Amino acid sequence: MIFNTDVALQNAVNGLLIGGTYATVSLGFSLVWGILNIVNLAHGAFVMLGAYETYWLFTLYHVDPLASLPLTAAALFALGYPIQRYVINLVIRASFLVTFLLTFGLELLINSGRSLLLGPVVLPLVRVATFAVAVAVAILLHLLLTRTRLGSAIRATASDQEAARLMGIPIAHVYALTFGIAAATAAIAGGLISLSFPIYPAMDAGYTFIGFVVCALGGLGSVPGALLGGVILGLLQTYTAAWLGPNYDNLVAFAVLILILLLRPAGLLGRVQRFRG
Amino acid sequence: MTPRTFGLGALAAAALAVAVAFPVFAGGYYVRLATGIFMFGALASAWNLIGGYTGYPDFGGAAFLGIGAYTTGILMLRAHLPFAAALLAGGALAVLAAVGMGTLLLRLRGHYFAIATLGFMLVLRQVAANLPITGGGSGMNLPIASAFTPFYYWMLGTVVLGALGGAIFPRSRAGYAIAAIRENQDAAQVLGIEPLPYKILAYASNALLFGAVGGIYAYWFTFIDPPTVFNIDFSIQAVVMTLLGGPGTALGPVAGAIILKILDTILTNISLFLHNVFFGALVCLLIIFAPRGLAEVLRRRGGIVRAIRAELEDSRV
Amino acid sequence: MPLLRAGAVTKLFGRLVAVDRVDLVIDAGEIVGLIGPNGAGKTTLVNLITGIEPPTSGTLVFDGTTLAGLRPAAIARLGIARTFQIAQPFRNMTVRQNVAVPALFRANPAAGVGQALGEAGAILDTVGLGPKREFSARALTTPDLRRLELAKALALRPRLLLLDEVMAGLTPAEVDAEIAMLRRVNAQGITLLVIEHVLRAVMGLSHRVVVLHHGRKIADGPPARVVEDPGVIAAYLGNRRPAGRSG
Repeated sequence: MIFNTDVALQNAVNGLLIGGTYATVSLGFSLVWGILNIVNLAHGAFVMLGAYETYWLFTLYHVDPLASLPLTAAALFALGYPIQRYVINLVIRASFLVTFLLTFGLELLINSGRSLLLGPVVLPLVRVATFAVAVAVAILLHLLLTRTRLGSAIRATASDQEAARLMGIPIAHVYALTFGIAAATAAIAGGLISLSFPIYPAMDAGYTFIGFVVCALGGLGSVPGALLGGVILGLLQTYTAAWLGPNYDNLVAFAVLILILLLRPAGLLGRVQRFRG
Repeated sequence: MTPRTFGLGALAAAALAVAVAFPVFAGGYYVRLATGIFMFGALASAWNLIGGYTGYPDFGGAAFLGIGAYTTGILMLRAHLPFAAALLAGGALAVLAAVGMGTLLLRLRGHYFAIATLGFMLVLRQVAANLPITGGGSGMNLPIASAFTPFYYWMLGTVVLGALGGAIFPRSRAGYAIAAIRENQDAAQVLGIEPLPYKILAYASNALLFGAVGGIYAYWFTFIDPPTVFNIDFSIQAVVMTLLGGPGTALGPVAGAIILKILDTILTNISLFLHNVFFGALVCLLIIFAPRGLAEVLRRRGGIVRAIRAELEDSRV
Repeated sequence: MPLLRAGAVTKLFGRLVAVDRVDLVIDAGEIVGLIGPNGAGKTTLVNLITGIEPPTSGTLVFDGTTLAGLRPAAIARLGIARTFQIAQPFRNMTVRQNVAVPALFRANPAAGVGQALGEAGAILDTVGLGPKREFSARALTTPDLRRLELAKALALRPRLLLLDEVMAGLTPAEVDAEIAMLRRVNAQGITLLVIEHVLRAVMGLSHRVVVLHHGRKIADGPPARVVEDPGVIAAYLGNRRPAGRSG
């Protein structure tokens, strides 16, 4: 391989674009983990649903994929809210393993629809636009969390559940809203993925894994962290693909995860457990 | 030995005698079905060691199943080793991999461990799909066995091994260490227990059984490729069966495997979609209403509804 | 002969000095009381001795063995046991199984699970938990959980036992019973370091009292002399905060 500035630049651009998508995948995962203390194994399934919804809206009704994103997000919010409110809230204070395995059951349930879905499909490429959307979503979420009443309610609940309850914050509702927002961002991520990557029913596990690695890189529940983590992972995968070949992206993500967990368990930005907008 | 454990032991011995004689009087279809039940009984017993007793939910058991399958396949096909030798090598390699991965991952908290094992499995699937020696994405054909009944006995052997492990483990010194670590690692340490070696022991035992099942599976089905063996479905079923039968119990996982595999066979015949929905819904219901398994719920009969209500009152928001 | 010798032990958390150049000598057979206001660094000192956290600097020597770099399990096997301020039971095991755990993993362990369980039963009788031996640990009341902590520590057959607020929240009658029990433990040859908020208990029980304040040792001597030390009165009594928590 000859070192070439153009190639290096192209890799940087590709890495950044992939990283933007990864960041969007991870925003909701990070939010739910940071606020609700749940590692949501169904997150990848939300991404998958978002991707297919975008695809179907485009194929059946010729809705422009970028224009359909708000619709897809709203649909997944409507799915996520009741899941948290009426299912996960039932066991939210049980041990970590219980909520973990419950989201695993939800993942199986959502993914069971896979036999009804189509095999791999790709939509036309518009990667630059997807990056812009990814950044816009991150900024909106950041503003939502830091500048709105809902955002302060969410953060108050995360830092001290009992105090929040005494202040009159409806915890169950806030939890469900948080989960719904996370599902909505997952849907947007899915929509963006459907624009640039092949989508297939079994894609969910891989994207849950990506969400986890990005959280490990960027730290929990931090929007800038998710952006940074996503971009770093995207760049790493793109550059290593140049000499490992394109087929080892999971290996790279896994190596990154192991290194981070062993060297800096709190993530690159060094924040664990508690959410900061 | 209490009368109850004696009774259970006698029951298990009788069941084993029936199982050994089964192929003599049962037709091929039922022998195949029973082989499948044993296979998943072994996987569930294996998962129970690390996920149930130790409290580290492993989602990457298929990694070891794949290692066992590919090692057996490669050694039989390319080195012309006899099946038993290849299987032994497969199990050994799975154990080695578990010791290596466990040393890295078992220091982490449970959920980090869980996702990292999932990642490990995804990595191996990708590696197997890209290496020449595994036949890459197009998979690999093993020699075809002359008879199929031996697979029944091989799988029976693994499930017996798994059930024995599950029965002996909690009564052993190592079992006490594992239980203490699961309940409270800090307290266990100040009482003289070094956690990592015991966790690795449980993880490697789990890997041995997954690896052995993988080797037998490969020769039984004669064809393997990356998505079939590095398949999270194996872990999923092992988890569901263990949850159904009761995590942290000796025979629970085997009982769960018997019930689920039979239900599963019926459902799959009707529709694959139904089968998938069933598994997901079952996990959710079990986790919410019977986190310690159906057996526990039945034991508290009479007060089931009250017990479930109490469980929910404790943990809802 | 000193059993435990701490030399200029220091622990920093960021810029906070939790334990500040503490020198401490505990002789074999002694009962030493460790007191101080909340946040004085008492529990941190216990964590350093038991290897839960490494000291930032200073030396810890137990019976000729340097503790630096040893993991908690190794330190436990040397013969240092502790109880936790908030009881740390193995909740889903029976009371007797809880106590069998240290019997199986100390330096000279019981020969097998059966023997460990038998030994655990005997220890439970001495701490008054005999009738509840087959209870699940999660079903115990707070005073019973304290007794379980002590039973687990004793099953380790320690030479040095660090007791972190075992008397907090007990009624005066219960405190008296506890003091009598700790005297019996000490009479078996087990050296005690007793961290307490209940001053009456420490003063009556201890041969010697050490006072920590802001991580520093400000007094070390017989109980009668320490309570009259003007520095102690100013620091400890002048600074009293609601009991029940400590640093």
